[in-house]
Amino acid sequence: MPALFRVHEATLRNGLRVRVVPSTEAPVVSLYTFFGVGSRNERPGLTGISHLFEHMMFNGAAKYGANQFDEVLESHGGRSNAYTTHDQTVYYEEFAADALEQVLDLESDRMGSLAISDGMLEREREVVKEERRLRVDNEVMGLIDEELQALVYQAHPYRWPVIGWMGDIEAIQRADCEAYFRTYYAPGNAVLWIAGDVDPEATVRKVRRAYGSIPRGPAIPAVVNAEPTQRGERRSVLSHPAQAPGLLVAYRGPSVTHPDALTLDVLEFILAVGEGSRLNRRLVYEEKVAVDVGMDWSWRLDPGVLLFHAELAPDGDPALVEAALYREIARISEEGITERELTKAKNNLRAHLMRELTTSSGRAHALGNYESYLGSWRAGLRLPERYAAVEASSVRAAAARYLRPSQRSVVTLFPEASA
Amino acid sequence: MKHADRILPARAGFTTADGLDVEVARRGRVPLVSIRLVMQPGTAADPPARPGLVDFTVKLMRRGTRLLDADALNEAVEFVGASLGVYAAEDFVALAVTTPAEHLGEMLDVLGQMVREPTFPPDEFDTEQARTLAQFSNDVDDPGLLADRALQRAIWGSHPYGHDVAGNRVSVEALRREDVVALHRDVFGPRISRLVLVGDVDVHAARPFVERAFAGWRDGPARPVVPPRLSQAAGEGRVVVVDRPNQTQAQVRLGSLAYCRGEPATFAAQVMNAALGGGFTSRLVREVRVKRGLSYGVGSSFETMRAGGSFSVSSFTKVKTTKLLLDVILGEVARMRERGPTKAELEKAQEYLAGLFPLRVETNEAVASAIADLWLYSLGEDWVDDYRVRIRGVTRADAALAASTFCFPRPPAVVLVGPAEALARAAEALGEVTVMSATELT
Repeated sequence: MPALFRVHEATLRNGLRVRVVPSTEAPVVSLYTFFGVGSRNERPGLTGISHLFEHMMFNGAAKYGANQFDEVLESHGGRSNAYTTHDQTVYYEEFAADALEQVLDLESDRMGSLAISDGMLEREREVVKEERRLRVDNEVMGLIDEELQALVYQAHPYRWPVIGWMGDIEAIQRADCEAYFRTYYAPGNAVLWIAGDVDPEATVRKVRRAYGSIPRGPAIPAVVNAEPTQRGERRSVLSHPAQAPGLLVAYRGPSVTHPDALTLDVLEFILAVGEGSRLNRRLVYEEKVAVDVGMDWSWRLDPGVLLFHAELAPDGDPALVEAALYREIARISEEGITERELTKAKNNLRAHLMRELTTSSGRAHALGNYESYLGSWRAGLRLPERYAAVEASSVRAAAARYLRPSQRSVVTLFPEASA
Repeated sequence: MKHADRILPARAGFTTADGLDVEVARRGRVPLVSIRLVMQPGTAADPPARPGLVDFTVKLMRRGTRLLDADALNEAVEFVGASLGVYAAEDFVALAVTTPAEHLGEMLDVLGQMVREPTFPPDEFDTEQARTLAQFSNDVDDPGLLADRALQRAIWGSHPYGHDVAGNRVSVEALRREDVVALHRDVFGPRISRLVLVGDVDVHAARPFVERAFAGWRDGPARPVVPPRLSQAAGEGRVVVVDRPNQTQAQVRLGSLAYCRGEPATFAAQVMNAALGGGFTSRLVREVRVKRGLSYGVGSSFETMRAGGSFSVSSFTKVKTTKLLLDVILGEVARMRERGPTKAELEKAQEYLAGLFPLRVETNEAVASAIADLWLYSLGEDWVDDYRVRIRGVTRADAALAASTFCFPRPPAVVLVGPAEALARAAEALGEVTVMSATELT
């Protein structure tokens, strides 16, 4: 895998890390900026500021005024977007290779001197409220998930949604945004990944010219994980206008740096990825208690969640789905998995890695993520070997360790009679 | 320029002994192959009393063949780290596999089984029917989907393009296994299909695998059924409100008929649309989101098919700003219709579309799809490679003509999803208002 491309690395004096991955497949370049800040860095009263701030980053800086960012980018044949997660905020641009200097000028301008006005804040606040109405308030699964996270976490910031509580979105002030920017959007808290049709050394020189004079920024305040021990199952029952009952079940998992994290990647494939996975076969096709079923085990910097979701028919019974799910989980923690299942999971994890590395954009994004979560991109390229070392017995042990009833949180939603 | 202007890789082709045309393109350095089998017809060929039959039939193809039951088929694909997708659209259906290159032969065998010898087991038929019906019920909770479906119906009416690819509750409930068996037997065949292989694959090495996998798949229809053209949108100048009393946000759609896939109007229309509502700096995004904070998303787009196409604007906002949103959208569309884009907008749109075009055909899957489309829509060999040149060749007069032709010169069909009473008031000036329940759309 590493033979397919080379990564050139540099770190500027202000702490900005730069990674360049050259290729000549197409005359395009992808630039990703990873900031080490997400909703885990927030506090009650300011929930959602990371995501709201992501919107503010498109609203002008010292050299390029309001709305100029996309204006300049698009007129150079490029496009941009961004996303915010619990753990990080990621900005990316894709553009014709000859626009690299222009894009670095745009990106460094907003990192060095973002302008935040009250008018912009008010408008973006309204936009984000519409986004929340779209994804949560008028979306049944969004509602259930929000309830679930607040059940799983009592103390850790993973408790609140990345988009934030509506009341907090309404209350965030300009001064909050400015303090947030000074703390988290400095070069010392950022990694630049540039992939595509570029010359690595010239690119690092261009980055140094564009970003070199931006001050390093303060040390990032540590995130305290004060999450108490869970001492028994937690349940919540919602009532909402809906066509069918809904069900989400979560178990507390480890952080990405824990050795079990990769074992759980394997377990996720065996349980829920693909039509032939255990949960799909059993719950959807054999017992027919759910219309669809899935699992989400996503890497997180702090201890994360193993989440199971089921889509039910209008006359479906969440209790039957729960019972079937728990039987399948117990089968793994009691009887283990077959060697063939293990090989299948490893084949898929390797193919997945290959697929995400086929395009420039995919390489920049995947390697940047590996650096964020695993501490280095090289660790990402070693994943196939590390997955290959996972044994059937350790998958069984991980299922027994994490998928315990006492570590469970369950949210069911029942349709309101008036719906 | 150090890169060739060509975007598509070189292709080699052959026809199997039984008459299936195959195209093979080697590209990239990663040992993966994308396989795409495109078969005509699509969901426009659903029998009038059986909307959803084509989609249902292709979904069921993966649930059992003469040699492989559903579990064995899934195991064959998933064990090696491949993935299989089955898609139905108005003009075609596609079976797509991405596989590690060393398993190409086995994956072609799986596809060959699916199209040649599906068994449509009765119990699998029942499960799929129950799942599809449950999905229709749950669709009622998806306001954006309801809006899209209502707009499709408002534009196309009873035309073969007017129903959802999956059909509806009543039609799927009435399906019988015999319908599926007959459809599979009568409407598909190699003469109106094409197989495309892209990635780490060599035409000479692939040929024996393809011959083996599709041996015996022969004859069938010589030409696909092509739907008639439609001259006027069914719901032109009318408003449909889909009642969702508890929603705090209204989904908004406006639409009309436009041009067919492959028409020369494409390039001027795309440039005009990028300026109106395509990119993030378009007029609609600027006026709706940036200046007024009315929505998180707004955009305009063309959808093109063989026998017709549509132009639509899509957005959403909190219920009480629905009228304002409609006014802003219609005002911007009218301004574009009357004067076309400015010179600066034209140039920005051209750079934007031309610059990003290579990214639209960056993966093996996208290249396979582009190659299949050249054949499916008779686009001409240079359609992809000349795209950027033709985009850059659009003049202001061309774009202005596209604007006056497509930007609602006649009143559009309007769809709103949310609390009916408030929304009917918001749109009463736009035409006769019909209120329907969400279940009528499923």
